[in-house]
Amino acid sequence: MSGNLSHRPPILRRPAGIGGALPALILISLFFVVPVVALLLRSVTEPVPGLQNYAILFGDGTYARVFLNTFLVATVVTAVTVIVAFPVAWMLAIMPPAFGSIVFGIIILSMWTNLLTRTYAWMVLLQRTGVVNRTLMDIGLISQPLPLINNLTGVTIGMVYIMLPFMILPLVGTLRAIDPMTLRAAALCGASPFDAFRRILLPLSLPGIAAGGLMVFVMSLGYFVTPTLLGGTSNMMLAGMIAQMIQSLLNWGLGSAAAFILLLVTMALYALQLRLVGAKRMTGGI
Amino acid sequence: MLLDYGRLGWLRAALLGFTGLVATFLLLPVVFIVLLSFGSSRWLAFPPPGWTLKWYEELFADPAWLEAALTSARIAAMAAILAVAIGLLASFALVRGQFRGRNTLRGLLLTPMVLPVVVFAIAIYAFFLRIGLGGTTAGFVIAHTVLALPFAIIPITAALEGFDKSIEDAAIVCGASPFEAKIRVTLPAIKIGIFSAAIFAFLASWDEVVVAIFMASPTLQTLPVKIWGSLRQDLSPVIAAASSLLVLLTLSLMIVTALIRRKLSK
Repeated sequence: MSGNLSHRPPILRRPAGIGGALPALILISLFFVVPVVALLLRSVTEPVPGLQNYAILFGDGTYARVFLNTFLVATVVTAVTVIVAFPVAWMLAIMPPAFGSIVFGIIILSMWTNLLTRTYAWMVLLQRTGVVNRTLMDIGLISQPLPLINNLTGVTIGMVYIMLPFMILPLVGTLRAIDPMTLRAAALCGASPFDAFRRILLPLSLPGIAAGGLMVFVMSLGYFVTPTLLGGTSNMMLAGMIAQMIQSLLNWGLGSAAAFILLLVTMALYALQLRLVGAKRMTGGI
Repeated sequence: MLLDYGRLGWLRAALLGFTGLVATFLLLPVVFIVLLSFGSSRWLAFPPPGWTLKWYEELFADPAWLEAALTSARIAAMAAILAVAIGLLASFALVRGQFRGRNTLRGLLLTPMVLPVVVFAIAIYAFFLRIGLGGTTAGFVIAHTVLALPFAIIPITAALEGFDKSIEDAAIVCGASPFEAKIRVTLPAIKIGIFSAAIFAFLASWDEVVVAIFMASPTLQTLPVKIWGSLRQDLSPVIAAASSLLVLLTLSLMIVTALIRRKLSK
């Protein structure tokens, strides 16, 4: 079909307008934009107008530790997820489909299983008398149970578990899009497998790694459920702290200020990701 | 050679072994929870000293669990229908519309997926308290529709982008009205996208924890809120029984999805 509209009957000439998007626009404006903006306004108006909520957040060591915890966990989770996901995605990209579909099935099952169910399983598995500690003691690797829960180790294990599918699935797409001929050519020219990996496979999959990694990092920064249940009260992360400020302390000013910081960091990283990979590539994961 | 499955050599064995380990890691909690739900130990000893169905009996004896599940299903169904309907209309504008700021609009409509849920949760909680929708079914449905909308828009726009509009135009040239052509030609062609949108939107609401925790009232609890409340008290095996039923539901949903997708794509 040619793009020249003048050759079409009049009824086909009119391009679609913004009209269809109006219900969505109204829904999102009224029940997303307005509430979020109203919340952020509270951070500079409660209890009195001014920036004192931000001064408290940045001036107090307790809050600094929460910020640090959050960034530390998100960084470690992202690094571990990328390293674990890459070989799996690599295999899935080239495996015979009959074999690969079993692994895909397991990934989807894990991803679609209720979040609380998965977290509950890890709470039981990682407790002092849990299966993981018992197994490690039985095979003689440790003599005392390791503290695996109510600390950042537990949070990291639980988070890596949840983030893995979000890293593996987009990476498979990236790796499948690489032309195997480039690697054959490298081998023909005498490159060792290690050289071919370092100088061809890895650089070519870097866009996928960056996109997935950034997504995992952003999701980890704002995660609430798993850190709250596996981290216990003394290892709070940012999202858990925000919820507590609102729910238990009813300190709306401070809670909204912390929410604003989380929003700002998340949106900045999101914008960076859009820049890196474009809106379409990013949503290929689901 | 690194992307030739047949010529990887020893590296293939290593990578396959690693993939197997990761698959086991991903499967472990799911299988574990199902086994645990049949174990007789109240203290969740594993392997269990014996097998029993009593946690399921306890689960079904407490009407609060069933009620929470029905509440969840009701809210998720309504949110999914709304999100798919609104998302379908929006997708036509996003894919075919010619207006300024189209990409900005797309970004705005997808933002609820990116913004940390906890920020949205406290924002909508405060907003609904002010306008009197706090703790109501309507409030739940609206909040979950907002969260589900991106999950509806993404598969539908993808399907619409892959559809050749000249087929719809041909129907119009042959005398169909533009509306009729959309209903009878375009919608059947993108039905897989719409179906995926419905599943994703339903799950987005059904599994949603954070907004639900803030919105819930003593009389209106979704299933995740009920599980959350029990988890914060103790690690009772009744939660394992409830969780196993959720795993069963996920599995059936996966199978049904695969079957319907196969049928639709014929």
